Amino acid sequence: MIAAGIDAGSRSIKAVLFDADTAQMLAATVTDQGVEQARLADEVFAQALRQAALPPARVGAVVATGYGRNNVRFADTTITEITCHARGVHQLVPEARTILEIGGQDSKAIFLEDGGNVRDFAMNDRCAAGTGRFLEVVAALLGVDLPTLGELSRHSHAPAAISSTCVVFAETEIIGLLAEGVLPADVAAGVQNAIALRVAALAGRHVAPPVCFTGGVALQAGMLRALEAALEQPVRVAPQPQFTGALGAAILAARRQASA
Amino acid sequence: MSSITSPTTSSAQVGVSAALAWFADMMDHCYDFAEAAKTQGRPVVGILCEFTPREIILAAGAVPVCLCGGSAATIPAAEKTLPANLCPLIKSTFGYHVTGKNPFLKWADLVVAETTCDGKTKMFELMAATQPMHVLELPSKADDADAFAHWCGEVRKLKEHLEHRFGVTITDDKLRDAIRLMNRERGLRRDLANLMTQDLPPLTGRQLIEFKSIISGIEADLQQYETALKSFHDGDAAPGSPKANAGADPPIRALLTGVPLVHGAERVLELIEGSGAVVVAMENCTGLKPILEDVDANDPDPLRAIARKYYHLPCSVLTVNRRRLETLRELAAKFRPHCLIELVWQACLTYDIESCHVRRLAEEELRLPYLKITTDYSPADSARIRARVEALVEMVRARKAR
Repeated sequence: MIAAGIDAGSRSIKAVLFDADTAQMLAATVTDQGVEQARLADEVFAQALRQAALPPARVGAVVATGYGRNNVRFADTTITEITCHARGVHQLVPEARTILEIGGQDSKAIFLEDGGNVRDFAMNDRCAAGTGRFLEVVAALLGVDLPTLGELSRHSHAPAAISSTCVVFAETEIIGLLAEGVLPADVAAGVQNAIALRVAALAGRHVAPPVCFTGGVALQAGMLRALEAALEQPVRVAPQPQFTGALGAAILAARRQASA
Repeated sequence: MSSITSPTTSSAQVGVSAALAWFADMMDHCYDFAEAAKTQGRPVVGILCEFTPREIILAAGAVPVCLCGGSAATIPAAEKTLPANLCPLIKSTFGYHVTGKNPFLKWADLVVAETTCDGKTKMFELMAATQPMHVLELPSKADDADAFAHWCGEVRKLKEHLEHRFGVTITDDKLRDAIRLMNRERGLRRDLANLMTQDLPPLTGRQLIEFKSIISGIEADLQQYETALKSFHDGDAAPGSPKANAGADPPIRALLTGVPLVHGAERVLELIEGSGAVVVAMENCTGLKPILEDVDANDPDPLRAIARKYYHLPCSVLTVNRRRLETLRELAAKFRPHCLIELVWQACLTYDIESCHVRRLAEEELRLPYLKITTDYSPADSARIRARVEALVEMVRARKAR
């Protein structure tokens, strides 16, 4: 049975087609989030079908997740991104016991039991300081794109100490640092450290290994190093980190269908 | 307050629905009641905390009105004076004070306040500049041997202050009458809250919290409580309640603890119950906390009996607040929740820090999943709160399925 998962995140929408019989991902597509959320979800799903060369009728069940989960018109049901990321990561990295997911405007720590069920979780409140939004703001300030920001951080020898716990105030702080002559590379590395420290604080004191890092921000060069330093333990990046939410949604869709 | 309207209970509505309709107009009823009281020369006394003994105010012939602010709309006015990083309840209350938008506050001949948290205590100083106020000093170390004697002294000073200010004598008999009235009110609200122990509660937590009044001791309210209880006991259920929806998935039962959900600030309760859970008990000042214990009406020293009941309130301003954890244990045994949700208003330091104890109690002793929600009166984070509660519900359902 083929099932689909749609992860309508704050910055991008992801679709995954999953074959439950072979446990294979058949397609994974992504598009930027926008005003017309429902239409964008339709499109990213259509792209996934084209990528897998499948007609829509072959998809037996659809689960939507993410911030825009209620705007996915063709979904059979919705499941939160916490449950979906847990399921998706468990599929790809079964030994993981802690998941750190950093997305466009969210960050989450998810703690798993043996078997991959969620034991506990924590999620950022009203603040974007520990999320991908922080990287976007800094990239814009430095006049570079996100991949370049990640590359820049690799050249840092003295990461700037960025104390602000608020993205809006951090912007002012960073403008001040640049005015003082702090190198863009050190600002880039400093921001990554600031995000990593926020997420480590969110995860709390009992981070059970192995730790798996997922979400779009895991694609950013330098973030893994920053997170390992903040947690003082090794971290591994999930395969295809942008898609673990959509993959989990697809797996849960297949299960729902099988037990229906 | 939009307008003064007379009670408009539709004749088509009976039992539970009629009582819910009555309390939907609670603010209007209170307005009418307080206005009539003022006309008759009865003083209005504003209260801002459950530590204030309403019995003494009633025994002085005055009308006790809760003035806690539950509206985001008055906060910008408050922030012209108060720091933004302060709890929304304090800011909203002060905002009503500076904008003059709360008629009960304008009518208040006196406001009784307490030294509870630092934010309230210092806000009261500002309010007292233009508002007659009496402050009760609350001993923080509630377990100390001399603390209760100090509190009794504070309660006695309140009685004397009211006598002096309103030119009345508060006799023991008047105190006992007030004690019986408040015990009756607490008992009725407790009976309603206890309906939530049922496997399929006949009302939601959101409906239960409607059964209250910002003015205590209004006879018409007490009769509505009685009418509603009788209907519930006859098998009636409120529309949308788990009992009315029997056949659907049984709800996930949540025990809510933490800060009060002042009238108008019920958003988080609605988000929780809109995400597949039903709040079966509320361990907070707008829920069970102030109504769990009555005052001994037969105590030879009624003032001391009143002081004792209020002294037992398990507020996070106390150190060490062991009684709150005991209360949570008892409520968990009685209401059988599947999870514990703690609500903390942003910048409410005492509840925020005390949440460490509550989390440990939930996870290590009660073995219940615990979720802490920190927010204020603005709806900006509603989608995020909903996602977290839905995830909690998914987690509990997955556990139950195993």
